[in-house]
Amino acid sequence: MPILEVRELEAGYGPIQALHRVSITVEEGELVAIIGANGAGKTTLLMAISGIVPARGGAVLFRGQKITGRQPHEVVRLGIGHSPEGRRIFPRLTVRENLELGGFAQVDRGQVGRDIDEACGLFPILGDRMGQLGGTLSGGEQQMLALGRALVGRPRLLLLDEPSLGLAPLVVAKIFEVIAGLSARGIAVVLVEQNARAALRLAARGYVLETGRITLTGSGSSLAADPRIRDAYLGE
Amino acid sequence: MSVQFFLQQCLIGLTNGALIALVALGYTMVYGIIGLINFAHGDLIMLGACLALSIVTALGLAAAGPTATWLGIAMLVVVCGLFCGGLNLAVDRIVYKPLRTAPKLAPLVSAIGVSFIFMNIGLFWIGPADRSFPELLPAANLLPGEGLQFTWKDLLVVLVVVPLMVALSLLVKSTRLGKAMRAVSQDATAAALVGIDVDRVIAATFFIGGFLGGAASVIYGLYINTIGFQMGFQNGLYAFTAAVLGGIGSIPGAVVGGIVIGLVRALSSAYVGERWTGAIVFAILIVILVFRPEGLLGRRTREKV
Repeated sequence: MPILEVRELEAGYGPIQALHRVSITVEEGELVAIIGANGAGKTTLLMAISGIVPARGGAVLFRGQKITGRQPHEVVRLGIGHSPEGRRIFPRLTVRENLELGGFAQVDRGQVGRDIDEACGLFPILGDRMGQLGGTLSGGEQQMLALGRALVGRPRLLLLDEPSLGLAPLVVAKIFEVIAGLSARGIAVVLVEQNARAALRLAARGYVLETGRITLTGSGSSLAADPRIRDAYLGE
Repeated sequence: MSVQFFLQQCLIGLTNGALIALVALGYTMVYGIIGLINFAHGDLIMLGACLALSIVTALGLAAAGPTATWLGIAMLVVVCGLFCGGLNLAVDRIVYKPLRTAPKLAPLVSAIGVSFIFMNIGLFWIGPADRSFPELLPAANLLPGEGLQFTWKDLLVVLVVVPLMVALSLLVKSTRLGKAMRAVSQDATAAALVGIDVDRVIAATFFIGGFLGGAASVIYGLYINTIGFQMGFQNGLYAFTAAVLGGIGSIPGAVVGGIVIGLVRALSSAYVGERWTGAIVFAILIVILVFRPEGLLGRRTREKV
């Protein structure tokens, strides 16, 4: 059974239909990339999976269980982490408080402490910045904090929205290295990226989203080799 | 003796200011978490004062002995606090929650509507005339000598306001709920995405703000000794001004703003004349906002990149 199954999902804002019968599946521990241009509906897709944007049709199944129509905090508690576009860390909370909130739904406080230590193991800079306010971090550090915060929630599935946007190449490399390691820890990932080349290199499979529709799907390497993709998204 | 007179006015101002601050907290907390100026907050406190008067009358507290009086006051604070907290929470559920995603003007206008509804309930409850709230505490001066007056009533304000403010700051600073409240006020979507039940946090905020208002309503009755169905408007306005002056959304700001307004009111009533108090308070507000639009302790709002 796939960990995530999105079936003919429809979603939008007011008169604008942002997703048209979008279907994707993600297997346990699999890294799946969603690529597409600005405004194609990538963020809306993740927001609809999390329940922030209500679905107008279709269904989202998490481990076989229908989660469409649930409140976002309930979806998170089922084991779906979401690191949103623009990082959205809490700027006037400390790094430690940000990480602690990642484990908000955890009952076992000791476990949260260990998970915070683990996140700091992945991104040692966070450990040095524990007492600082989130808003004082650099963009790269904020992205690490956003990822760390999502991981402290112990997700089975992690939705990552543009984790490399606007970051220096060295930081991007570090972030992608951590993302690549998530599969090994059994965490499935849906990676939305403008940096299609890097995303397809990491991903087992990918989907191409164009104006709210899935137009192409395949393994990461086959998509990267597809002339249409190379032309439109890889700039070759 | 002019120094003594000045100190006396400051003492009055501080006590009044503490009361204003307690009301201002209700405005600032709700604004901080959902960006709504809850115009009904002043009238909520008026209803709390009506309930306090009804209980005092029904129990005949005015004729009770000292122990029964203090127990009665403690009971009033808790009961009126729960009443106003519960009512505030119910209004959020029924009126504001369905408008959460609507343009900001819709809940604002609804809050004005709730304010009118509350005022009419108050009119129905205690009638159109001002009612006197019985003196429950002895008028004896607690300070030595003839000079400064600090009575049991003043002490009561301190005894209620200070512990409530300490409890509130501890709650916001160190509890799980407090952390969730701060997270929601900074980014509600991100808060939902870490598993926080945003609606519950908002409901809790309305309850706490209402509880503080209910406590304030009891002190108001016991301290000012006159209540009326229209008292909510003016008191609400001063408290709201205090919240804006201190920096709306900021909890320490509401406390500082309340005390500043209390002092300004007392001093201008004493030295300039009662009739100018309103004008002076709002002139100071305008001057401060011209130079510090974010208020005394507020944050400068930055455009998101």
